[in-house]
Formats: sequence, C-alpha cells, structure tokens
Amino acid sequence: MGDSDFVYGSSLSIDSMKVIAESIGIGSLGDDAAKELADDVTYRLKVILQDAMKFMHHSKRQKLSITDIDHTIKSKNIEPQYGFLQPDSLPFRFASGGGRELHFIEEKEIDLSEILSAPPPKVPLDVSVRTHWLSVDGVQPTVPENPPPLTKEIQKLESVDPISKLNKPTNKDAAGKPMCGKAARLKASESVHVKQLATHELSVEQQLYYKEITEACVGSDEGRRAEALQSLACDPGLHEMLPRMCTFISEGVKVNVVQNNLALLIYLMRMVKALLDNQSLYLEKYLHELIPSVSTCIVSRQLCLRPEMDNHWALRDFASRLMAQICKTFNTSTNNLQTRVTRLFAKALQCPSQTNNENGVGPSMVTTMKESEKTPLASLYGAVQGLAELGPEVVKVFILPRVRWLGERVEGALSGLGGADRQAAGNLKQQLLKVLAPVVRQLRQPPDLPEEYKRDYGYLGPSLVQMVAKQRSSPAGGGGGGAVAVVTCTPPLVPSAPSPSPSPSPLQSHSHTFSTKTVETVATRNVVISASPTPQSPAPATPPPQKFVIVASQQKPPQAQPASGASHIVVHSSQPAIVRSQNVQSVVVTSGPAGAAPPQKVVVVGMPPQAAPPASSAPASAAHPSHPPLVQTASHPPAVASSASQVSQAPVSVVAKPVFTRGGGGGAPQPPPELDDLSHLA
Amino acid sequence: MLFTLCSSSFVNKMGDKSTPLLAVLQLLRKYNLKGTEEILRKEASLGDAEYENLDLPEVELASILTAHHTESDPYSYEFAYESLKKFIENSLDIYKYELSTLLYPIFVHMYMVLILYEHTTHAANFLEKFGPEQEDYYQEDLKKFSIVKNKDQIKGNELAEIYSSNKFVVQLSRDASSQLKRFLHEQKTTVIINIINNHIQIEVHDGPGRSLAQIRATAGGMLGEATRNENRTKVYYGLLKEPDIQLPPVPVEDEEETEETPDKPKKKKAKKDNIFMKKPKSDPNAPPSDRIPLPEMKETDKLEKGKALREASKRVHLGPDSLPSICFYTLLNSGHTAICADICDDSTLLAVGFNNSTIKVWTLTPVKLRGMKSAEKLQDIDREAGDVLVRMMEEKDRDTCRTLFGHSGPVYKVAFDPFKNLLLSCSEDSTVRLWSLQCWTCLVVYRGHVWPVWAVRWSPHGHYFASAGHDRAARLWATDHHQPLRIFAGHLSDVDCVQFHPNSNYIATGSSDRTIRVWDCLTGTQVRIMTGHKSPIFVLSFSVCGRWLASGGGGGELMIWDISTGLPAATLPPAHTAPIHALAFSRDGTILSTGSLDCSIKLWDFTAITEEVSGEEIGNNSTVQKDDRFLLRSFPTKNSPIKDLHFTRRNLLLGVGSYEGSS
Repeated sequence: MGDSDFVYGSSLSIDSMKVIAESIGIGSLGDDAAKELADDVTYRLKVILQDAMKFMHHSKRQKLSITDIDHTIKSKNIEPQYGFLQPDSLPFRFASGGGRELHFIEEKEIDLSEILSAPPPKVPLDVSVRTHWLSVDGVQPTVPENPPPLTKEIQKLESVDPISKLNKPTNKDAAGKPMCGKAARLKASESVHVKQLATHELSVEQQLYYKEITEACVGSDEGRRAEALQSLACDPGLHEMLPRMCTFISEGVKVNVVQNNLALLIYLMRMVKALLDNQSLYLEKYLHELIPSVSTCIVSRQLCLRPEMDNHWALRDFASRLMAQICKTFNTSTNNLQTRVTRLFAKALQCPSQTNNENGVGPSMVTTMKESEKTPLASLYGAVQGLAELGPEVVKVFILPRVRWLGERVEGALSGLGGADRQAAGNLKQQLLKVLAPVVRQLRQPPDLPEEYKRDYGYLGPSLVQMVAKQRSSPAGGGGGGAVAVVTCTPPLVPSAPSPSPSPSPLQSHSHTFSTKTVETVATRNVVISASPTPQSPAPATPPPQKFVIVASQQKPPQAQPASGASHIVVHSSQPAIVRSQNVQSVVVTSGPAGAAPPQKVVVVGMPPQAAPPASSAPASAAHPSHPPLVQTASHPPAVASSASQVSQAPVSVVAKPVFTRGGGGGAPQPPPELDDLSHLA
Repeated sequence: MLFTLCSSSFVNKMGDKSTPLLAVLQLLRKYNLKGTEEILRKEASLGDAEYENLDLPEVELASILTAHHTESDPYSYEFAYESLKKFIENSLDIYKYELSTLLYPIFVHMYMVLILYEHTTHAANFLEKFGPEQEDYYQEDLKKFSIVKNKDQIKGNELAEIYSSNKFVVQLSRDASSQLKRFLHEQKTTVIINIINNHIQIEVHDGPGRSLAQIRATAGGMLGEATRNENRTKVYYGLLKEPDIQLPPVPVEDEEETEETPDKPKKKKAKKDNIFMKKPKSDPNAPPSDRIPLPEMKETDKLEKGKALREASKRVHLGPDSLPSICFYTLLNSGHTAICADICDDSTLLAVGFNNSTIKVWTLTPVKLRGMKSAEKLQDIDREAGDVLVRMMEEKDRDTCRTLFGHSGPVYKVAFDPFKNLLLSCSEDSTVRLWSLQCWTCLVVYRGHVWPVWAVRWSPHGHYFASAGHDRAARLWATDHHQPLRIFAGHLSDVDCVQFHPNSNYIATGSSDRTIRVWDCLTGTQVRIMTGHKSPIFVLSFSVCGRWLASGGGGGELMIWDISTGLPAATLPPAHTAPIHALAFSRDGTILSTGSLDCSIKLWDFTAITEEVSGEEIGNNSTVQKDDRFLLRSFPTKNSPIKDLHFTRRNLLLGVGSYEGSS
C-alpha cells in the first residue's frame, strides 16, 4: 500500500474478514463475500469512530476511550459491546504461525471464586478539590502546584545557546514574569540593551529563601533540614538560585574537608542529593562544581576528626551513590562523564605492576607507582566504593584485576600497628569482599577451591571463597549483581558520632558552632578557615593533623603547559589552605609540625580532560623518599602570608582571602570555626 | 450486525435505478410519444404509482439526462476538474481567490457523482489525486467523507446527506461570476454546469474581488460562507437596564421588566416613575425591556442582586498593566472522570459533572452546604418569621460537598442559575435536569432532545434556559414548562454549545458545522449566521457590553465576532494547541481569558482588540490576522486541562481543572 492510500484512511483486509469468519465458525468465506464484508465493516466502523470523536470532545478529553464508542453505539440503537470496559487501552497481542499473522486481544479466563474470595479492592480515593494560586497579579508563583517556570528544555537551551535568551527577552509564555510597568515602557522606547545575559538577579524573596535554605541545610535543626531538603528536591522555581547553591556546596565541601567536619559534609551531600532529585532543574551546567565536591567526599584521605571513631564510611558510600546517580543521569556520548569518573577512581587503584603493564610510558610511571603505593586506605575504600556503584561490569574490569595488590595493602595494614589503619583495612576488606563476591560468583564455576582463589586473588582469596560459597548457598542473593550487594551493606547515613566518646560528636560541636554563627555572619562576611584547635575542639592537647584540599581543574592538556619549573606549587603552612591551581602539574604541600603523628592529608581532585592526576607528572625529586609523597614537613609553622608569597611565584591562583591572615594570628583567641553562608563567594 | 443509521429525509433521486427511466418516460410524455412510452413502461415493468408521480422538475430532468450521458465517461470528471482548476489558476488575482472557493464543492460533488454511478475506482483515484490539494480546513470533512466508497453508503451518511440536500454557498464578485460564466460556456461537457446548478448557490456581490485573507476570514463553514442577506436583520445587542436596586441597607426592589410571565401576577407599578427617570440613559441598541417577558425578582433575588452590586463597586480594574490574580481549583483523583464544571455567580459554589453520571457540588467558602428539613418538620415552622429561610434549613448536616444522583450517562454541562437556588445539568441520557440547591434533589426532568445533550445555559435573568445537543437543534425552555418554548433548527451538525445574550433576547449556538448562529428568542428565527471558524466550536461567550461574541474552537483558535454585523471582528492567532473549552470575560470587559485542554490559561487584551476593530472601518478589511500583541500572558498548569473559568464580582479569575497525573 502506498502512502496515498492512507491519506484518506485504510480499510480492513480480506484476510481479516476471513479470520473473523473462522472465529465464529464459518470455514470457507468466499473472496467476494469477504471483500464486500470488509468494505461494509470498514465503513461502519469509521462512522462509529467519527461519532465517538464527538463524545470524546464533549467529555473534554483528547484521547478516545471505550466509553465513547459505547455511547456512540448506544446512540445508534445498537446493542453495545460488553466486556471491554478498561480504564486504559486494550493491549494487542501478536501471534504468528501457519503462514499467518494475528493480532488479538488476550482474554484471560477469570476464576470467579478467586474474585469472590479475594479481599475487596481498595476503595478509590474520592475526588477532592485543591486550591492554589496560579497567578498573583499576573505573576505565576513558583509553588509545587504550578509547573516549573522554566522547563528543563528551556534551561538547557539557554545554557547551550545563550543568544536565544537575548533574542527573546519577553518570553511571556514560559517565564510568567510581568512585562508591564517600567520594563514594558523601557522596551517600548528605543533604549539600547547592552547586556542581559545570564545575570540571575535574585529578588529579595529569593535571597531570603536562599539564606533560609542554606542555613537550614547545614544548621542543627534536623526538622528544618528535612523541610529545606524537601523544598530543594521539589520546588520548581530554583533554577535562578542554582549557580549559588552549587557554589555553596562546592565551597562548603572545600572548607569542611579541610576542617574534617564530617557532619557538614554529609549535610552538603544531602543537598546535592536533593538537587539531583529535583525534576525541574537542568543541572548539567553545574556538574563541574558538583562532581569534584562529590568525589572529594568519596576519596578524600580524611573526612572526620577521628577516623577510628567516626563513621565516615557512610559518607563515602552515600557520595558514591550520588556519583553513580550523576553518571546515570547525565552521561552522554559527548561528555563521557561515566568514563571520566571511572578513570578517576581507577587511577586511585592503580597498583605498581598494573601501571607497568598498562601504561608504561615515560617519566610519570615512577611517580604513579610511588604515589599509588601509598594511597591511603580510606581513599582506596572510596575508590572501590565509587567503582562498585557504577555496576558489576565496572567492578569486573577495574577492581578484580587489582585485587591481589589491594589484598597486599590490606594485609600490610592489618598486621601493622596504627589503630585507624587497621580499622580502615578491615573496612576495605569487607567492602572488597562484598563487592567482589557477586562478580566472582558469576565469573567462576561452582567448585570453589581455596587454593585457586589464593593463587588468583592473593591475600583476599580465602575470604572470598567463603563469601562466594555463602552467596551460592543462599538463593536470595542469587539474582543481585554486585551493586545490590553493595547497597545492602551500606550503613545508614546518620551524621553523628558512631561511638560514645568523651568529646562532643561533630554534630554537637557544630551545632554549637552554628549557634554562634549568626552573630559572626553579620560581623564578618568572610570564610574563616581555621584548622588550629579551637576551644571546642575535642582534642586540644595534640593538634589535629592538617588537611589540604587542592582542587586542580586542569584545563589544558599536559603538553601545552609551561616549563616544569613554573608549574609546581609549594605551599608551606601549618594552617590549612585551599589551593586552587590551574595549569599545574604538581602540587607540593608541606605543613604541620614535624612531630605530628598522623600523616598529612592531601586530597588532589583533578578533572582534567585526559583525567591525568595533577601530580602524576611531578618530578620524582618533589617527593621526599622518607615522607609521604607530595608532603614535606616544615619544622616551624610559617605565616600564611609567606606561603602565599611563595606560591605567588608559581602561576597559580591561590584562594587568598583575609581568611588566611586570620588563621595565622596564632596567639590571638581563635574564633570558633565557622561556615559562613558563602553567598558572597558566588 | 444491524445498523440503523440515522437516515431521515434523504431524497434518493439519482441513486435509484429507475430514476433515469422515469426521466425518459417523462421526456417521452412531454413530446407526446405515446407508443414508445407504453412499450418502455411495459419493458421496465414500472408500477402505476410511480408512473403517476412523474413530475420531476425541468432542471432535474435535464441534469439526469445529461448526467446519464456522461455516466459512460468517468474520465470526463477528472478532465473537467482539471480544466476548471487551470482556468482559476490562470485568472487574474482579483478573481482568483474568490473563484477558488468553487473548487471544493465541485470536487465533492464530482466525487459523489462518480460514486453514484459506481465508478468506485475512478472515484478513489479522483479523491487521491485532488483531495490533498483542497483547503486545509476542509481536510477534516474530507476525511470523514472519504469513507463513503459506494452508492449504498451515501444514503445515511451524515456528510453526504448534508452535501446533497443543501446548496453550498459561494460568494463571487460580479466580474468573477461573469468570468466563470464565460468559462462554462466554452466547456464541452456539462458536468460542472450541472453541479453548479444543482448544488451550489452563487451569491454575487457588487464590490471588488476579495483578497485571500478576506476570504480565509469567513471561509471554513461546512457549506461555505454565510450569505450577506442572512445577516441583515437588526439585532438589539444593547443591554437591558439594570433593575433599579438601591444598595442595602435599603434594599428596594423594583424592576423595569414589567411584562409578567403568565404564571406570575403583575404587581408593583408604584415605582414606575423611577424607571422613567432612568430611561434617557438606555442604550439605543437595547431591545424594549418588555420584548421578552422576564420574570419578576423575588425578594431574595433582590438581596442577592444588591450584594452583587455592592461587590461590583469594590472590583479591581483590570488592564494590560494590572492583570488579574488567578485562583485555580484542581480536582484531584478525578482522572478523566470529571467533564464539566461551573462556578456560581457569587463564586461560592462549584459544581462538577462527572463521567459516571453524578454531579458534585462543593462549597468554596467556609459556609457549609445545608439541606432542607423534612416535610413534617417544615410544617412546624412559623412561615411569617423573618428568618424563615434560615429556619427551614437543617442544622445538623453540613457538608463541604454534596453529590446529586439522577442522570444515567455522562454529565456534559452543569449551570448554576443567577440566584444560586437551582442547578441545571445535561447529559448523554438526552435529558436536562433541574436540581434544587436547597433540598438537593432533582426537581424536573426536561425531555425533548432525542440524542445526547451537549450544552445547557441559563438566561442571565433566570427562568429561561437553552439547551443544545447531538440532534442538531437548540431548544429554549422555561423552567415551568416541561416542553420547549422554541426549537432552533438549522445547524447542519451537532450543536456543541449555546450561550444567552446578556439581554436574554437572543441565544447564540456554535456547532460542528463550523458556523455560529444567533437566534431570536422572541420569533425563533435565525438572525445571524457567522462563518470563519475552521474547526468545531466548543465554547461561546458574549462580551459584557453585548456587542461582541467570543468563540473558541476545537483547534484552539479564538475568534471575536461583531454581533451588529455578523462579521468576524478578529481572528486571534492560534495560541492554544488543544480545543478551547472555557472562556470568560472580566466583569469590566477588559480582559478575555481562555482555558484549553492544553493545560493553560491565556489572558487577552480585549480592549485593544475591540479598539482595533472600531478604529478600522468595520467591514471587509477588518478581518486581517492580528499579531500576538493581544495575548497578555499565559499560565500553564501542571497537566490539568481547564474545564471552566469564572471571574468573580471583584475580578478575581477562578479556574477549574482536573489533574491528570504527571505525564
């Protein structure tokens, strides 16, 4: 049949008529009779359908329903068809065989006694009326009852092609903003509009809202926080505040990683989660801020003050799930998000032998080896978790080949002395087993011999055998892949100290912090980063280790960078510092008094297009052999100003704020660590 | 399967095989060829009865005989149509567009003739070849008509009947028609002439040929354009004087509509002089106040009216710079079951008609809905008491929602009376029901329509109401008569909506035949027919001043009509993407709001629209397409198609829609 046949309708075929005739017991229907019938039935069906359209229109619907056809048939004085009452469309089934193809409606036999004995179905909800403001003086309020003022598509269009917004400044239909009064007159006159681009001016209400939301999200009141997160996850009109929210989160993470403020990090991650859940937001524009923050919370060396006590593992698990959600939602073939994230985690797991095999190229090899050998166990845990959330396939490709090396690390740490290390190793081991068992179970055939496992997987082999055997025996765990197992083992995300301790839990200490905060906020509009022990700090006797977050957003490919001498940063500081470096190949941070027992934490988060870790190409000389790589200790705490001056020689931008001078004033009474609302940073 | 398709008056002239024979017989008789006539009669074995009834008109005779001649040559149709098309394409621009309106009717009738003579394959080819090039607004009809594929189906097919039993109206300028005549004379075949003679009514007007835009503005009716003569009757579109009600605290009654209805005794002549004082102010276009007998107001109605006036004095003045606030009532858990909604004049009650034959009434204020006491209890009440109206209400049962049961099919429209005592509803079960909002029972069932009733509306003064339905007629009723007072027949297809003029003297009906007609309630005649809509008309609304009529169509188009001339005043650019089912004018008449199934409410600057029209010369050139500067704002809802819109007395816009789940 050509297309033209369909311009004015199709008709039933002779074959259909014959099949229908057969179904009522007429075996041999002549071709002529079938043709005659087909024409007539087609005509009559179409007449009925045309009239049914009227019933549809008057029922104020745009979809024809079975009742419309029933009413039409009734209006034509025909016995209606029974048994086709269905709220939705009837699905057609397809069958073929004997050279014929059939489409039919499946009619299931219904056991009446079953219906009679079954409990009565739930009474459907009664119709109710709900009132809301669709418009207030011509402006559509952004409440959940109203559709989002800017649909995702428009937000996307705006980010892809900002010119479109300029061309159509009066998008009356979508924006619902008033175009009257002054604005309209301005438009009417011949005034020249120079710039109107993406300036998201916030109204006073929006500013208030922003303040309330951010305060509630990181505040101490769990009830308010729940409300705020609910608002973030549901409100349709947030897109104008999105840039500020994202900056708030990313800056907050930077500051709190340095301060090891587990509770606040968890709160911030919950904000990310809420934003991700909001259906009306187009987050793609802000991933560059969110992904580093989230990955910091996954792989950071230290996230809490007492790694042996606090449950920072939950944060890592939660952030890993967030990362997986981000990858699932936003991965496209152009941004290769998942690949890049995978590569980021995989790099952290790079074991020396692997490096040799995989990319035995050039000078970076040595440093990679050295570096990865000493990747802290917590970071390894995070990387494993991050990869595990991305699915069993990823586990198979990236974790399984490294299990032997990981096992060695675990073994080494377990036999070691450090309590924190032992605990971390234990956790890592548990995690690895849980992640790997389902994958291994799929890969290997049933006879699970401990020797073979030992040979293939090294230290973890025997435990893995047990795990696999357990899984094989329990049918319940059969269906789940690796990810399922991981999810179930994740501890609940409760931002509180897991064990009773003499010192206040982070939650409490920070609730205190925040109670004093409001006063401070008014006085100073600066971020204060202070890692020196505060009066409220749990362990005033021994200074806590310094932590550094270095966020390097390497934008250029390595070969395009300046000469090596200029591309190293050396920061000496006893104070925490945030160094934001661009075009840097290596970052060396030295800090802390030499006696400080715990090693310094350096988190290097890089999002280079090639995903080369910023430090990977650092010359070997930068790392002192007797110390953890990238970290040198300075015997005395130099003033931050001096570190800044040192830094200034290198082509990097250091987030140099009044902050540092404040933190450096060693003798002065320290203000409590505070987290300002950060709005001024935006 | 047994189909009894609604066949009524189709005169089967040409379809019958014996018709050509009868025509020949008549011809023989005319020339007095008795012998041949006798032989033919015998051979054809025609009965006497048929023989006696030989009185085919001369024109018919000719057409049958010539048609009979061309019957043998189905190709002549295609050829004739092509030559006509070529002639039109080659004619001058001033004639071209007018002449091109001929193409569609000729095309349709050629197709029909081909079917009648059983050249079905030729007919199908003809349809495929020329069908797609017909005007876009005829495509819908063409699709419906194209299902007719053989002779038997013509009988009883709605569209085929309409086409064959009515004449298609084509308006041509004098020059264009003489061009056409010249062309037809040059033709060898007579097929086109026959069709034009039998099925097309050519209206010749004296003006110059019209432009494409002008033609498009009025084209689109199922049977072409409205003729001018049909719209010559004067329509009193002015408003009646407002009943003279002093604002409370001295609620003095007194209405000028002194004509009493038969059942209501006339009273109160005392205030007459008061009325005379007002007379000079009355609208010159207003009908005499007693043209239609209007009911006298009851005391309670006057109180209500007084309240309305007081409210009106507080209303917000709207305009492009001060848009109304919109309060939206979303019906939850209703899915596709809620069909129609209405809000009463003082915006305290909301009625919704459902698919499952029920009607629900909600109160929108904290005041609960109360039922009346039982008959025994009512007897005990002192009827002279001042608060008798309060006392007769039940104290105990107070609900926010009440359900009315009675219909046996989907309820397609509900309407509150102006005084909030009664509710009308119409349904698929072909009845209109009147409900009391005091005892919450059905008072009257009005039977009269045979098929589903699509719409029902109250007169703005109460007492009268109009209904319209699938039976292609609208009816005017009075609440105290069980039979309709008037039946307005004339629409060619379903009458989809009906609306009273604010002065209660006229009703407007919109139909699936894409025309709007205005009927005089007094005489029952059609006083306006307005073409220009390109899709069925689902909602109508008169402007506050009574001169303009707004109509919303199935394609989401919105048109404004001038009742004084019957011409389209504005065709607003299509802003909605789905049928418009709700229209409301703000109480001061400055803003027009439309609600559509595309889940959005749009506000239009009605002042600007009418100013534009009166600025121009009202006539042919006022029908140019307007750009979108009249559209003030659009408010989307979250997947809730709009069922009803209503402006409160203070100019707050209320919308009703049913949430259909996240898509």
